[in-house]
Parts: sequence; structure tokens; C-alpha cells
Amino acid sequence: MIDIQGDAGNFEVTINERPRYVDESKCIACGLCAEKCPKKVMDPYNANLVKRKAIYVEYDQAVPLKYAIDPTQCIKLTKDKCGNCAKVCPTGAIDYTMTAKETKLNVGSVVLATGFKPFDPSIFDTYQYTKFPNVVTSLEYERILSASGPTQGHLTRRSKDGGEPKKIAWFQCIGSRDVNRCENGHCSSVCCMYAIKEAVMSKEHNGDDLDCAIFFMDMRTPGKDFEEYYEKSKKLGVRFVRSRVHTINAIPETDDLEVRYVTEDGRIETEVFGMIVLSIGLQADPETVELAKKLGIELTASNFAATSAFNPVATSREGIFVCGAFQGPKDIPESIVDASAAAAAAGEAIASARNTLTKEAEVITQLDVGGERPKIGVFVCSCGTNIAGTVDVDAVAEYVKTLPYVEYVGNNLFSCSQDTQDKIAQTIKEQGLNRVVVAACTPKTHEGLFQETLLAAGLNKYLFEMTNIRNQDSWVHKDQPERATEKAKDLIRMSVAKVALFQPLDEAELQVNQTAMVLGGGLAGITTAQSLSRQGYKTHIIERDAKLGGQANRLYRTSTGENVAEKLGELISEVTQDENITVHLNTTLEGVEGFVGNFESTIASQGEETVFKHGVAVMATGAQPYTPTEYSYGKSDRIITSLEMDEKFMANDPILNTVNSAVFIQCVGSREPERPFCSRVCCTHSIDNALEIKRRNPLANVYILYRDIRTYGEREHLYREAREKGVIFIRYEVDNKPVVSVQGDKIMIKTIDHVLRRDIEIEADLLSLATAVLPYRDGKIAQFFKLPMNENGFFVERHAKLGPSEFATDGVFLCGMAHYPKPIDEAIGQAKAAASRAITLLARETIHTSGQVAHVDPLLCSSCGICVSVCPYSAPSFITEGRNIGKAQINPVLCKGCGLCVGSCRSGAIHHRGFDNDQIMSQIFAMNEA
Amino acid sequence: MSKDVIGSVMVIGGGIAGMQTALDLADSGYYVYLVEKGASIGGVMSQLDKTFPTNDCAM
Amino acid sequence: MADFEPKIVSFLCNWCSYGAADLAGVGRAQYPPNVRVIRIPCSGRMSPKFFLAALREGADAVWVSG
Repeated sequence: MIDIQGDAGNFEVTINERPRYVDESKCIACGLCAEKCPKKVMDPYNANLVKRKAIYVEYDQAVPLKYAIDPTQCIKLTKDKCGNCAKVCPTGAIDYTMTAKETKLNVGSVVLATGFKPFDPSIFDTYQYTKFPNVVTSLEYERILSASGPTQGHLTRRSKDGGEPKKIAWFQCIGSRDVNRCENGHCSSVCCMYAIKEAVMSKEHNGDDLDCAIFFMDMRTPGKDFEEYYEKSKKLGVRFVRSRVHTINAIPETDDLEVRYVTEDGRIETEVFGMIVLSIGLQADPETVELAKKLGIELTASNFAATSAFNPVATSREGIFVCGAFQGPKDIPESIVDASAAAAAAGEAIASARNTLTKEAEVITQLDVGGERPKIGVFVCSCGTNIAGTVDVDAVAEYVKTLPYVEYVGNNLFSCSQDTQDKIAQTIKEQGLNRVVVAACTPKTHEGLFQETLLAAGLNKYLFEMTNIRNQDSWVHKDQPERATEKAKDLIRMSVAKVALFQPLDEAELQVNQTAMVLGGGLAGITTAQSLSRQGYKTHIIERDAKLGGQANRLYRTSTGENVAEKLGELISEVTQDENITVHLNTTLEGVEGFVGNFESTIASQGEETVFKHGVAVMATGAQPYTPTEYSYGKSDRIITSLEMDEKFMANDPILNTVNSAVFIQCVGSREPERPFCSRVCCTHSIDNALEIKRRNPLANVYILYRDIRTYGEREHLYREAREKGVIFIRYEVDNKPVVSVQGDKIMIKTIDHVLRRDIEIEADLLSLATAVLPYRDGKIAQFFKLPMNENGFFVERHAKLGPSEFATDGVFLCGMAHYPKPIDEAIGQAKAAASRAITLLARETIHTSGQVAHVDPLLCSSCGICVSVCPYSAPSFITEGRNIGKAQINPVLCKGCGLCVGSCRSGAIHHRGFDNDQIMSQIFAMNEA
Repeated sequence: MSKDVIGSVMVIGGGIAGMQTALDLADSGYYVYLVEKGASIGGVMSQLDKTFPTNDCAM
Repeated sequence: MADFEPKIVSFLCNWCSYGAADLAGVGRAQYPPNVRVIRIPCSGRMSPKFFLAALREGADAVWVSG
């Protein structure tokens, strides 16, 4: 992207499309070109640990799976010699004459998802990253561990011996939290977790004897299930050393690495490691920074996009949004949340033009072939020489003609090319075929394409089977052409046997009710409702309290210094006045019927029940603060929780004027055996409040007693500011917690100074306890929608990485602290993300089910209920009325077609359309029939 | 203003965040241009080995 | 027994192992052509009947992967 002109809703974007020198429509990714390419170049995908060719795909699963030429390396393009690839390409896809194309495109919104740049540690001379082969970056280490990496996943050293390391060390905060040796003052948020993961994986690879040590300043594992993983890794034997190592020295001859470090109790230790991994941080990409400056987008202190906590995906330029690591250093689930939030925000901005540029697919009427005798057409693909070079395709075709029900056999050079597609469709029509087999590459990539061809010929797309004679035959048996040919015959015979039993399958269509229900009227819930409304959807907010806003009503400021009450007030008044939003206060959810697209919920307010219909539901039920039983809480009005301190700030409580000494104790109720999770928000909250005390009385003595300071991302700047302003941080051990006593107006706190290793006693006018964030554990709501909760009582999302804002139950979404404790910016981000995910469903207006679903034959069903209990998607249920009462039924809308119930059914009552028992059996029986 | 509003979005960057944004927008009724400087989409996540907590292959 | 080559039927999950078998091809890994793959939608689809049928049809080994 070069430039953006215009304003929100109507931008003109100039992009420069660099040439690939390979025609994407012709390239079949056979790889002959790379095989014959003489030029080896560094492979950035493998972190430059190995070489690839100048014509390449980045990796085997790349999308698009089309080759490209690196013009700076290609001998033809640089010196006009060679030209091998064009000579060997079977489809003539190579085109050296391609040139860069500049295009102007008009769009309504722009989303920047440009990511980050891994920190380059070669500037640190003390670590000798470029000189010592066994000092690697964490990204290189990922490639070393990866089965698709340069060592096929064998954990070996980079030195010439290539041996297995016996001891590995990780150095944390390389290029993070460092303003002395580099300019990255922020915490990169992800390195502590990935280092633990790499250490655990390494032990899995090379056995428990492998010694893994992580050298760190603070272990930052504030994400969902992270703290538990950290504790588990300790049990697995991963060592954690709180120390920052200054220098790495190589031991001559061995390429081993010696480090000296100071332990917590002041001793100097020397250890030798076989490998050292530098946990490199995330930093803003200089290219993006330059682009942002050109576009007039404000940046933060660490050069990430500046955003407001109340609109975390909007940049300073209207209509341009941001998500992922350019918004701030973050991990995968947060990036996914952000991404959906940015989609919601970008959509909100141009909602009036929705559905104006999208295209509807053309629908062709299907012929009714049910009940006809099978007339099977088999198309055998040569795939250039990819198949025909090994498998004798003519012999295969001749053989296939002899199989039962086969009426037509054709051979194609490239079955996937557009003209062949048209030819296949025409043949189907001319020959009156009613079942089709294509023997070619893999259904994983091409099944959909050929199904489209069937549709174009008026055939039901489920009357199709693909036989894999390339990826799983010709390519893997290159030296055994005869046996590969026999295998191809066997595989096609199996497919033919199966396809003969196929029946046309229906995809049921179902209307989606266009109304949403949001459960919970806190900050997250009302944000979701607002986003849904802005894109035109009616929403009901169900709130059990008498007012909206939830816990945010008790918060003073965000970590970015924004006044919460002010912004929350604006939001509440907008939502209350919004015609699309109905707010139900003092209301509880009493019952839910139905499923995705068609829920019917019963709500109760002051004894009065109402029923309404909705297509989707969003869980924004929030969390509550823990009430401490420790640290003399309740014995003095000068011992308060973080939220109570916020309330004092908001009320300008006169007690604040008497505070000359304030103490904060962290992890009150969190990271304890009964509540093992980290509450994520408390470190930043306490530091922010400590700074506020200092602002009101710069001479006040302020102490924060902590276990690890977890100011992830750019919150780290606050931590540094607090230290600069004189806030004193004293670390305590979990088995030696501070002791609090009340003496009149004074609070006495005894603890051990971690630097001096001495008992100290602090006299405080105010003690603030950073209390845990607790989920509500509302089992009733979980039961209504069949939603899982984890051991701590937080809802479990569809996928920890890729589905953070939705449930496995279709049509139900999740946001805010019901998912996990989170600060305002993240709660708002996830609220918008939940809205975005919900809109992707609402926008369809109708749901098409897959045809390949399970179906119960009630005559055979014994009502045992196994299917009901095993299904992860709650698709089976018992019939509650009529002739088949008590028997199982499967909702095709919820069924994902996994077949778990089919395999589990003792009575053989469940049929799996497209993978039914007789169909799979026919494949087994056909295996030997040659 | 609504008369001039264009119903398409450009997403710059084809990593995990850009792909998710593009998918959500396309499924919500907007035309999406996904712009990536490399030869394929996937970003840094495609380079990672396994991911916490399921040990799923990042690919 | 030295030149005995077992006949193997493998049931591969569409979402993981089947894709992995495809990638073995992309990487041009070479293995003996004595495996016949049957694609299933999920390893949860496996039924004891498939094992028995495969063994009865002369398979020496049944491999389920998912």
C-alpha cells in the first residue's frame, strides 16, 4: 500500500502489486521449477536457517499455493541467463515479462493489520548472536522445533557438531523493557508464555533429562490458563531463575556457552549451556511507522498505533482502523479479538453501504436423479507429468471402464483448469451421468471446485467422490510406477464402489431471526449492543441490576488516563436512547428454548415473565471483586480494595488528604491454590492508583508489595514512571506473605525486603488490597445454552486461540470478564468482536446446513442417549412429543458431520449421510476385488 | 454522506489479524480487499511450531 | 517372513492426518505402496465394524489416525 487519499466512507487507496513472474491461473504448484532452479537463497520462512530456491512457495501449505520468483535473486531476471523454470514448467506459467502494477481502489474503510517486526538481537555485542552458532532467537527456535522446519523437528544445535543439547537457557526481555541498550520500553507481552511453551516442548522432544532454564525479571503470565501452565511447567522441571544475564562467553572447541549471573540472594553463579535462546520482543515495523506518519496516524511512545481505551481499534484518523500487533504487542487470541473488533468498527462506519458491493452466487436448478440406476463418470487426471509421470493413466482409464456402473471414463491433462471444468460439465450433461469420480490431487484443496462443476451441470454436489492419486500415490511412490498404477486402480475402484451408493443430499435452509439478546448490561454488554445496533440489528440487553454499567461504575480511570465515569455516561445515554436497543433492568433470564437462529428466551422482571425470540445470544455476564479475608480487611476503614480506592478518588474523599504513606499488596486472592489464575488487571491498577496518590501528594511514601509485576504491553511505561516518581516496589514470596496489623489510625505492614534480605516494617495511612476478579459461576445460564465453564468458573470459548469470542454452541457469543479478567480496552475490544462474530451469522439471514450430517432412524433407536452425551455440539436430543417420543433426533443445523454419534450408536440407528456405514464398508470390500 | 459511502474495506496485512478481519467483514456484507506484501498469507503464526494450550500445530 | 509386506488399511481424519498424508506428498516423502487410505470425517467416526471388516478382507493392520 502506498497512499490513502479521501475521507472516512470514501477513501482512494493506491496499492502497488509486485509481480510474481508466475501466472497464478496456470501454476499447479508441482514444484518442478524449484527443483531445477540453480539459485539458492536464504529462506526467511525458516528464519534464514536454511536455503530455498529463487523460485519458491513460502511453505508447503502456503495460500495461495502458487510459486513466485524473487526478482532480486533470479538469474534470468538479474542477468538474463538460465530460464530453467520456464523450460520445465508443464503449464507455461512462467512469465518473466510481468511488471509491477499500481492500482487505485475506492474503499469505505481501511484496516491496518501490518503486524510487528521481531527484534534483531545482533546489536547486543554481549550476547554475540551473530558469532556464536548456538545462540539463537526464539523465532529460529520455533523453526528448529517444527516438524516442517530445517531439522524436521529434531532439537539439535546449530554448531557443526549438530548434537542434541543437554542444557538450554532462555533469556527473557531481549529487546523488551529496555531503554538503555535499545529503545523498546514496552513489554512484548508474549515472550514469557512462548518461552515456557518452548521449554515444555523441548522436554517433550528430548526427554526429561534435558535441562531447561528460563532467566527472567518478572514472569508475566496474565492470560487465560497461563498461570496454570507456568505452575505446570515448574512441576515438569523447567527451572526459573530471576536474573538478567549480562554476558555470554563461548567455551573454545566445544561451542558451549558459559554464563555468569547473580542469584536472588546475591551469589554469583557460573553455568554452561549447550544452547541459548534469546526471547526476542515484538516491536513496531519501521515500514509501518513510516506509513503511519505519512497517513497522519498518531503513534504511542513505542510507535504502535495510538488508540483510546473506549475505542481500541480506531486510529486517530477517522475511518482507518487497526488490529493485531500494530495496535500494541499482543498474542494470538488478543489479535483475533482485535481483528473481529476492527471488522465491527470498520463495518459500523460504512453500515449504510452494506451489501452494495457483494455478489450473490447464481443458482442452477438440480436435476432429480434419485432412484435412477447409477451412471458413473470417472475423470482421471494426468496433472501434467505429476501423475502421468509415475502412474500409467491410460492403463488406469482402460481398467476403470470395466468397473460396475461406470459409463464414461475420460482423461484430462489438468482437470482443474477452467476449460476442463467446462468440458466435464458438458460431458456430464451429454452422457447423462449421475455420479462423478475425479481421480486427481486431493479433496482437501479441490473437492469444492469439482462440486461447483457438478452444480453447473445440474447435479447435486454430493454425488461426487474424489480419488487421491497424486499426493497420496504418484508423488510418494515415484520409483515404483507399476505398484503406484495398481494402487491408483485400487483407490479408484474403492471410490466407484462408494459413489454408486451416494444419494443426493439436501441442505436444509433455516431463517435466522434478526434480533440479538445480550446478557449483561456492563461495559462489554452495552458496547456489543451498540455495535449491533449501528449495523442495523435490534438488540435486547438483559441486566439483573437496577442500572447499566456494571463494575465500570466503580472505576476511576483507565491506564491511558481516560475518565471512566464520563465515557461510560456517554455510552449509557446513547444506548438508552437507541431505538434499536431495548434495555431490561432488574431482569433475569429464566429459560431458553431453540437453537441458533431461532432462540426463544423467557425473561422475568419483578415476577412478570416475558418471552421473546432472537437469533443470537451474547454472554456478557461479567465478574465481581473478591472480598478479602486476609490482611485484616474489615478491621479498619483504612484497609480498602482497589475498587474502593477508585471510589475514594471519584468522591475526593477527605481521607486522601491525610495519606503520607500508602501501601499496596498485590495478588490478594489470585495465584493461590484455590484460585490459581492471575487476575490480569491488578498490577496496572495498583500502579495507576499509586501514581494518583503521588500526584495528590508528591511527598507521600508509596510502596507496592508484589510477586511479579505484570504490566504487559505498553502498560510497562506506567511501571517505569512509577519507579521514576519514587514508588517503592518490594517483592514478597508466596510462602512468606506480608503481615498486617491495625494500630489505631495506623496500619503496620511487616515484610522482607527482597534486595536487603531484611525484615522491614512499614507504617501506612492507607492499605490497598489488589483483590482477585471472580466469575459469577452462573450454572443456570450455562445450562440454558449448554456452555462449558473452566475450573475457575470462567466460560470456555470455542477455541483458546482462534475462537475467543464465541462458544462451540452455534449462535452464542462471549465477551468481557465472563471470559477472563480484563481491563476496559480489552473488554470493549472483545465486545465489538462478539458483535462482529454475531453479525457474520445474522447477515446470512438464512443458515444452510451441510448435507453430510447424521440422521437417526427412530425405528432402530433404543433411546440409550449415548449420542446425546457424546456430541460436542449438542446436536442430538430426545424427541419430546409425538409417535417417536423418547427417541433421539439430530438437529441438522447443529450437526458438524463428525460422525462421533454414528460410531458410538450401539443400535446402528444413526446414518451418516455421505459417510454412511454401507458406503465406508463398500470401500473396504472393494479394496481387494482386483 | 450516506450516498457516497462505499461498501468495501481494504485490510492491509495478511497475518492472523488481517485474515480474521477480512473474513468477518466479508461474511457481514462488505467487499474486502486483502493486501499482503509477501507471496502468501499467514504471517508470523505460520512460522510457529505448536501453540499453547492445546499443542495444536500453529499451521 | 523376511520379504513379508503387510497390507495396511488406514482410516485418516479429514481435518488432520489426511491433510498430513497430502503434505507427505508435497514434500515428496517416499513410502511403500501397501497402504490404502479411507478418508473419514473425524476419527470419532470409527466403528469397530470397520476394523473387523478390514481384517476380514485380508488387511494385516488397520491404522486409525486423527
